[in-house]
Amino acid sequence: MTRSWWSKLLLLVFFTGLSCVYVYPTIANLDLATTKFPFKQKINLGLDLQGGLYMVLGADFNKVFKEVVTRDSASLQDRAKEKGIELTSVKTITEGLPADDPHIAVEFNPAKRDELYNLIKNEFWRFRLADEKPGRFEVGIARDYRVEVRERTINQSIEVIRNRIDEFGVAEPSIASQGTDRLVVELPGVREIDRAKDLIGRTAKLEFKIVNDKAMAPAQVAELVAEIEKTNNLSYKEGQKFSEYVKKVNDFAKGKIPEGNEISFERTKNAAGQETSRIPYLLFSKTEVTGDELSDASVQFDQENRRPYVAFSLKPRGATQFEKLTGDHIQERLAIVLDNIVHSAPVIQTRIGGGHGQITLGRGDGDEVMKEAKDLAIVLRAGALPAQLEFLEQRVVGPSLGQDSINKGAFAAFIGAIAVFIFIAFYYRGSGLIAAFSLLLNVLFVLAILVGLEATLTLPGIAGIALTVGIAVDSNVVIYERIREELRLGKKAHGAIEAGFQKAFRTILDANVTNAAAAIVLLMYGTGPIKGFAVTMLIGIVTTLFTAVFVCRLIFDAYLRRMELKGQESISI
Amino acid sequence: MFQLIRPDTQFDFVGKRHIWVSISGLAILATVVLFFTKGLNYGIDFTGGAEVQLKVPAAWDIGKVRSELDNAGLKGLRVQQIGEPSAHEFLVKAQGDESSLNRVSSQIDGALAKLLQPKEYEIQRVDVVGPAAGSSLRISGFLSMFYALLCILVYVTIRFDYRYSPGAVIALFHDTVITLGVFILTQKQFDLQILAALLALIGYSNNDTIIVYDRVRETVQNHPEMKIRDAVNRAINETLARTILTSMTTFLTVFALWALGGKVIQDFAFTLMVGLIVGSYSSIFVASALVVWITEYQAKRAAKMAASPQAKNRKNSPGAMRAQPKLQS
Repeated sequence: MTRSWWSKLLLLVFFTGLSCVYVYPTIANLDLATTKFPFKQKINLGLDLQGGLYMVLGADFNKVFKEVVTRDSASLQDRAKEKGIELTSVKTITEGLPADDPHIAVEFNPAKRDELYNLIKNEFWRFRLADEKPGRFEVGIARDYRVEVRERTINQSIEVIRNRIDEFGVAEPSIASQGTDRLVVELPGVREIDRAKDLIGRTAKLEFKIVNDKAMAPAQVAELVAEIEKTNNLSYKEGQKFSEYVKKVNDFAKGKIPEGNEISFERTKNAAGQETSRIPYLLFSKTEVTGDELSDASVQFDQENRRPYVAFSLKPRGATQFEKLTGDHIQERLAIVLDNIVHSAPVIQTRIGGGHGQITLGRGDGDEVMKEAKDLAIVLRAGALPAQLEFLEQRVVGPSLGQDSINKGAFAAFIGAIAVFIFIAFYYRGSGLIAAFSLLLNVLFVLAILVGLEATLTLPGIAGIALTVGIAVDSNVVIYERIREELRLGKKAHGAIEAGFQKAFRTILDANVTNAAAAIVLLMYGTGPIKGFAVTMLIGIVTTLFTAVFVCRLIFDAYLRRMELKGQESISI
Repeated sequence: MFQLIRPDTQFDFVGKRHIWVSISGLAILATVVLFFTKGLNYGIDFTGGAEVQLKVPAAWDIGKVRSELDNAGLKGLRVQQIGEPSAHEFLVKAQGDESSLNRVSSQIDGALAKLLQPKEYEIQRVDVVGPAAGSSLRISGFLSMFYALLCILVYVTIRFDYRYSPGAVIALFHDTVITLGVFILTQKQFDLQILAALLALIGYSNNDTIIVYDRVRETVQNHPEMKIRDAVNRAINETLARTILTSMTTFLTVFALWALGGKVIQDFAFTLMVGLIVGSYSSIFVASALVVWITEYQAKRAAKMAASPQAKNRKNSPGAMRAQPKLQS
């Protein structure tokens, strides 16, 4: 054999050996934690195979934009005042506008038009002038800023959800953005499905609001709510939307509570998730500080009192807001509101400056207080979600169905492959055996590359491997039929094989490239399991080119050589 | 040597092309009619809704779950048995708005927990797709099919010739449409997995077409004197053994998946099975017939141009150059 043949063989042996090492932990189902085997990586199973939770969440940007506009209109008012520009009216308007493009209508003294225009132009790049009438501007959010808000919101949401999942120790979660306003959360192997759902379902918005105890004592608020429930025949049942109940309570309370106030509830739940109590609060509707002004929160332990407390710190802007807020409202209660539910309402003891504060917790037994402290810290740290998220899709596969799928899928793929091996060996005899061997290598390579790329194997992915075997045969068939044709034309074995491989190569390449094009489209558009299918198809195309052309040729050369040594002229095909 | 097709086989595929194309045309027409009358049975992936698969003890009355759910504000509640009757597995389907859908799984879980011991039942799978997500999945799904076809059109045009690409794409369109037709007829659920299978099919079936085309191109190059219809016929006959063999091996694997792969993947495999048959047929009968037609039409036009008085001016234009006289009928 020639030197080049030997070096090619060496390359093949190297790849095969490497692939075996990659695939062995998966095939032998080694326990990666304890095994002495040097390569510690297994094939990643998709959610449909190992069971788990897949959800798509959408962010409600309409609300975010409205908030951005409202917040910035306040600073526009401030700046205009400083510059001596009189604004007669500043209003947020949404009517007759697209839901994601709220405007601020600013009415001003027409004489100051240019000054105001320059102010907006120079200092409020976030705004664009949407409409102008004498003495009235309508400004909306500039396009760049809109994009920025979207990105920031999504990224922040990803961070927050990841943070929260980490807190509860879910193994290998995946949280990614999809498009401009969606999040995909994948929690493989999660068995406590409802708990995990609840966990992410609590993606919420954190606000600090002052409790209006001066207007109504807590007992009075409770009485008012009881009265509203009674006179309007209103009650809340498990499974209904709590937010709807709260909205109704507030609708009925109109006129009975001060303007600019609202009723919110604190809810406690037992271990089974059922509500045990519901405490109403009268809050000023105005959000004093939002959760995204918080930078960190953690549980600390007070050695003296032997009690845990929650320490938190604020970002610079938030620190200023917080200092003013706490200074103005000493001895009043500050409600920590998560997703419109009051979580806790500690009494403000002193003015909190410097951006650091702490919350001590009520009395109770040690473990309970500790749990409460931990939950509160999670709420503060991770609860700073800027936008409300809604579930668009949820898919859960139970672990037993996953196991069932993998068993059946792998078995079917195995049987299919064996059937193909037998068929091809029967049809092409000696050369068929070569093809079957190259197919076997093909499957090995696909699996090894899946492990190496840390790609995920899904059920359609298993189908993809089976299909790869079916399609890979095609390359062998194309080559073999060519060789047969060349033999029929009277060529000698050597020449026929040479010509067969050469002529078939272009065909095989063209066919595989178009196949790959379809697989790439699938990869770009597909989600979850379907992506897995596209990945195995793509890998299969690459390995097919390698095995059908390179590996088969290598074996054929050795085969030919043997024939020549024996003095035989014909090959078994 | 074991042979399926004898090497000297000379079926006249092209001569009867009008028949084949008419059959295909009728099948496509029938699908279009079915599409607008009977319609596809879209799964929740595309319509939105909830599907919960559960396993309960033997001889347990599933109606109890149903009555628990009846007053949950859900529409189109359906409970159906799936798989082997001995497995006692059921699929609960429901439609509704986002908030009621979000509660479906916990409601079913709650109902079962009330009626059964935790070990006696199992919620195997939950799929909830909100109405908005459903419609966006549908749009992006069909877009992806469009892009896949576009990619292939571009590739075939670059790699072969513009005379070949319409045939390739029409053949793929033909395969997809007819497979969809079978789906409408059988009223099997059309969901994301099936869409993926269709896309895989586009790739596979095109593979088939390319191999025939490749041989047509080669034959035309080697035998310039041959009429296009004879060249195509010869190419099809020469690749016939390969087309059938490959379809058979692929069919074997897909059949194994269909028969043994479990119910999650059954419809996926079914789509591939149908598509394989239609795809192999279209490569032989449809794609090549279109090449013959387009080439002959072109040659006719070129001949007309050559006969017209402005021929001299046109001779240097790219269109005239492309129409090679040797392809004339």
